[in-house]
Amino acid sequence: MQGLNVTEKGIRYLWECFSYYTGSCAYFMLYAAAVIYICIAGTKREKEIFVPCSVFLLLTVYNPVAPVILDHFFDVNSEYYRFFWIAPVIVLVPYLFSKLIVSRTDRKQMIVVSLLIAAICLVSGKYVYADGIKWAQNIYKMPPELIEVSEKIHEDSGAEYPKAFLEYEYNMQMRQYDPKMLLTIDREDYLYAVSNPSYSKEMLEDEMHPQYVLLAVLVRFQDIDKESFLNALETTKTGYVVVSRENPRIDYLKEAGLSIAGETQNHIIFKYDLKEPYEFELVDYSVVY
Amino acid sequence: MADIAIITLSVICNLIIYLAFGSLLTGRKDTKCPLLLSVIAGFFFYYFVFFFFCVPPMKYYRPLSMLTKMWVPFVAVILIFSSILNGRKWISWFKNAMLYVKKHPLVTVFMLLLIGAQIVLVSCTYNFTLDAAYYVANVATSVETDMMNVYDPFTGAWQDHYEMRYFFATYSMQDSVVCQLTGIPALIWTKSVMAVTIIILTNMVYLMIARELIIYGNGRDEVKAGEDRTGTDHSTDSRKNSELAVVIMTALMFVINLTFITIYTSSLFLMTRTYEGKAIVGNLAIMTVFYLFIRMNDDSIKTRPWLITFIVCFGAATISSSANMLLPVELTVLFLPMIVRKKAWKMLPKYISCVIPGMVFSLVFVLYVKGYFVFYTFPK
Repeated sequence: MQGLNVTEKGIRYLWECFSYYTGSCAYFMLYAAAVIYICIAGTKREKEIFVPCSVFLLLTVYNPVAPVILDHFFDVNSEYYRFFWIAPVIVLVPYLFSKLIVSRTDRKQMIVVSLLIAAICLVSGKYVYADGIKWAQNIYKMPPELIEVSEKIHEDSGAEYPKAFLEYEYNMQMRQYDPKMLLTIDREDYLYAVSNPSYSKEMLEDEMHPQYVLLAVLVRFQDIDKESFLNALETTKTGYVVVSRENPRIDYLKEAGLSIAGETQNHIIFKYDLKEPYEFELVDYSVVY
Repeated sequence: MADIAIITLSVICNLIIYLAFGSLLTGRKDTKCPLLLSVIAGFFFYYFVFFFFCVPPMKYYRPLSMLTKMWVPFVAVILIFSSILNGRKWISWFKNAMLYVKKHPLVTVFMLLLIGAQIVLVSCTYNFTLDAAYYVANVATSVETDMMNVYDPFTGAWQDHYEMRYFFATYSMQDSVVCQLTGIPALIWTKSVMAVTIIILTNMVYLMIARELIIYGNGRDEVKAGEDRTGTDHSTDSRKNSELAVVIMTALMFVINLTFITIYTSSLFLMTRTYEGKAIVGNLAIMTVFYLFIRMNDDSIKTRPWLITFIVCFGAATISSSANMLLPVELTVLFLPMIVRKKAWKMLPKYISCVIPGMVFSLVFVLYVKGYFVFYTFPK
């Protein structure tokens, strides 16, 4: 979770993890207030349903020692926050609010209380579409240009499974739409590339991972000779490099000898002619059956 | 337009299949069980059974099409068998539902609008999430290669061993089976059909919880006096108020899901990553267990409550490995205090049996991570 580590943070991990989890939302405060209200003024049944589980959660999941102990057995660093899902916030808070609204006998009072509660909800949270709703542009919910890129590469390639280097967002989306498109970079390598400033000399010389050179050139914009870059394309069997028009390495790609195989409104598809043509084939399992 | 028709039809088919599976669990002559619970239980039961069909052929690297050929006739048989066994009950359930709609048209319209709004939001918006690069691409890759979890969804490269984090979460393989069978693209199936299905199921659970807390809870004596739990009207002012409270509660649940947003909350998963296993576990499974807890706390469920709980827990573990740790903890914080308070010690073994699947899957994963075993994707 955002670089939080149980070993480093110790018993402070829980609080920091919880802070990240709730962000600026105040629903857990409303939940805590609701549990206290139930303890004081709830019916026997309400107490049976909501109080023991909340106390138990406080003793276990919300116990600062719990992640420290759990971490000895499982790596909980990135997933501990999911235990917070168990607290029935989404049940208890609306339940009490709805009771409060219908307990008003006068219709005007009911409307005022409803508006007040709606305001509390809006103030207590952050709207999921706070940055605006992005409507999908097609039934696949993919950028139309990505579909265009896929079609152009297949048209140009002729191979059943062409292999391409794509920029981050397209790299993460392409195979959802087009499983016939092989990708040079996997998720972990890309995450490393976008979250680290540069590749070290040792990494760039690592023959086991020639893709680091491609990422260094096209994502980190490091100064690397064109021969190494072409070697990396050859070794990884990458036939296509797709970059956006804003990518500062467009001239570099042209100078390296890559040709333009196609263009879309915002992307350029470069082609690299592999010295040894590469035809990916699925493993033949019929010999195993 | 044709796509919308396909999505609608697929969602309806899903719900019918879940009802058929669920009725086998809940449909006993001597007890009454709500229609909605049958559908929800059926959803988890479906994935529970699918797990046993999927794992053996996957472990022995058999093609996806072989699984499809095994699974589809089985589902067809279950559909026929269940409709013969429970057909009358379904008709009676639907008659009751129609009666409810007639008596509470405004409530029905409001609920439909509420669910409709959520359906539009989850199925028509564009979201970029990294995890989809695995989940959706895995479905697409499995269909393309006709293998299960053998090729890397991120790159398409062949993998020499199965990633155990995902091996027992066979949910996405079910998606692959349907995509292979129907030809529906993985993106449409996961991000539209399954997203809509999950939104409907989650709202069903919300509605069940709201009704349980407000109507049956407050009017328990009335219910015990002879009313069934299928929505029959009590025709009192208090009842009308309760119906209004249910509507308000479910609307507020929607509002919280829209506004309780950080990148970690289950609400965010529900609203933007609905089709992912984690979203299903964090919303549908957790809430279903909470509903079952309320019913068991009230001693108001006679229809194999622990069996349904077991199926929900096991089924959730086959949907996402997140359930392996979440549901045992939820079961513990909900049911242990109840068992102690009621001194219902006979429930203890049942509670333990519900915890076991998640614990076993967790243990297997830990053994894999520690290097005790590996499942290869070819004979060795």
